[in-house]
Amino acid sequence: MASAEPAKQPQESPLEAAAVKTEEEKDEAAGAAAAKLDTDDLKYIKHPLQNRWALWFFKNDKTKTWAANLRCVSTFDTVEDFWALYNHIQVASRLQSGCDYSLFKDGVEPMWEDAFNKTGGRWLINIQKQQRHSDLDRFWLETLLCLIGEAFEEDSDEVCGAVINVRGKGDKIAIWTHDCKNSDAVIRIGRKFKERLNLPPKFVIGYQAHTDTMSKSGSTTKNRFSV
Amino acid sequence: MSAPRKLSNPHEIPTRRILISDPSDLPLDYGTTPGGTIFSTTPGGTRIIYDRAFLMQMRNSPHAKTPPRNLPKIPGVTSPADAEQTAKRNQVNGENNHDKPHDADEPQFEMDI
Repeated sequence: MASAEPAKQPQESPLEAAAVKTEEEKDEAAGAAAAKLDTDDLKYIKHPLQNRWALWFFKNDKTKTWAANLRCVSTFDTVEDFWALYNHIQVASRLQSGCDYSLFKDGVEPMWEDAFNKTGGRWLINIQKQQRHSDLDRFWLETLLCLIGEAFEEDSDEVCGAVINVRGKGDKIAIWTHDCKNSDAVIRIGRKFKERLNLPPKFVIGYQAHTDTMSKSGSTTKNRFSV
Repeated sequence: MSAPRKLSNPHEIPTRRILISDPSDLPLDYGTTPGGTIFSTTPGGTRIIYDRAFLMQMRNSPHAKTPPRNLPKIPGVTSPADAEQTAKRNQVNGENNHDKPHDADEPQFEMDI
C-alpha cells in the first residue's frame, strides 16, 4: 500500500505537464507569428499621404533674384519619407537669418503669384525673439504634421502650404490657404491651427489676404479674420 | 405580356484564403476595399488623415533613418556649413531626443510564471 502511492504520482504528473505544455506552445507559436507580421508590416509598408508635398528652401542672397534664391529640397508622399527628409535637414532655429523653409502641395510654388495661392492669404504667427529656442522648432514641426496628416479634414483642400521665415527681428510661421473669401473654411483652419500649436486663448492670430499684403502702404497689413 | 420573373439561385460571394508566409506575399491593396477607403481614412470619405501621435511614432521608422535619395547638398541645410555647426546640430538633436517616442509596448523584463 505504502509503496504504491509514490508510484502513482509520477504516472500522473508527466501527463498533466505534457498537456499544459502543448497549450502553451500553441499560444506561443500563434503570438510569435502575429508579432512577426506586425513588425514586418512596419518595416516594408510605407504609409501613404493624401497629398504629395514639396519642401523648399530660400536663402536671402542679395546678389541674386528672389526666385533664384528659392530651391526645392525634396518631395515626398509617405509618412516615412517625410521623416527621412525631416531627420536629415537642419532644424529651422539653426538656419541663417533671412532663410525660409516652405512646405507646399506638389505643383504649387511657394509664392503669392502661383495660380493656387493668389486668391488666398495666410494665418500668421509672429514669434517673439526669445521664443526661438523654446518654441520655433516645435511650432514648425506641428505645422508640418497638421499639413501632411490632413488635420483640417475636409478644409485641408483649401490649404496650399506653410512657410517659416527665420529673421533676426522676429521669426514667422504661416499657413497659406487658397481662397480668402471662403471665410468658414479659413476660420476653421485658423482655430484648428491655434489649437494644435497649443496657443493660449488670449494670443490672437490674424489672417491676411495676399493682395492686402502686396498693396500695403505701412508696415502692417489689416487682418481679414482673427481667432 | 412579359415572361414571369424568375429569381436566380443565391450564390455566396466568392472568396479565397491565401496563406501569407512572407510580407512580400501581401498584395499592395490588402487594406483597401475596391474603389473605396483605405485603412486610415475618415468614415464617409477617402481622405487619408493621420493624427499627431501616429506621425510622431513613425519618426524612428527604419525608412526614416536614411536621407532621401537625390537630396541636394545645401550647406547649413542638408550638409553641415562647418565643423562647428555640425557639433551644434548634434547637440540640438541630442536635446530633441526626449520627445522621441519610447517603446512603451516593450516589456522591461520577461517573467516566468
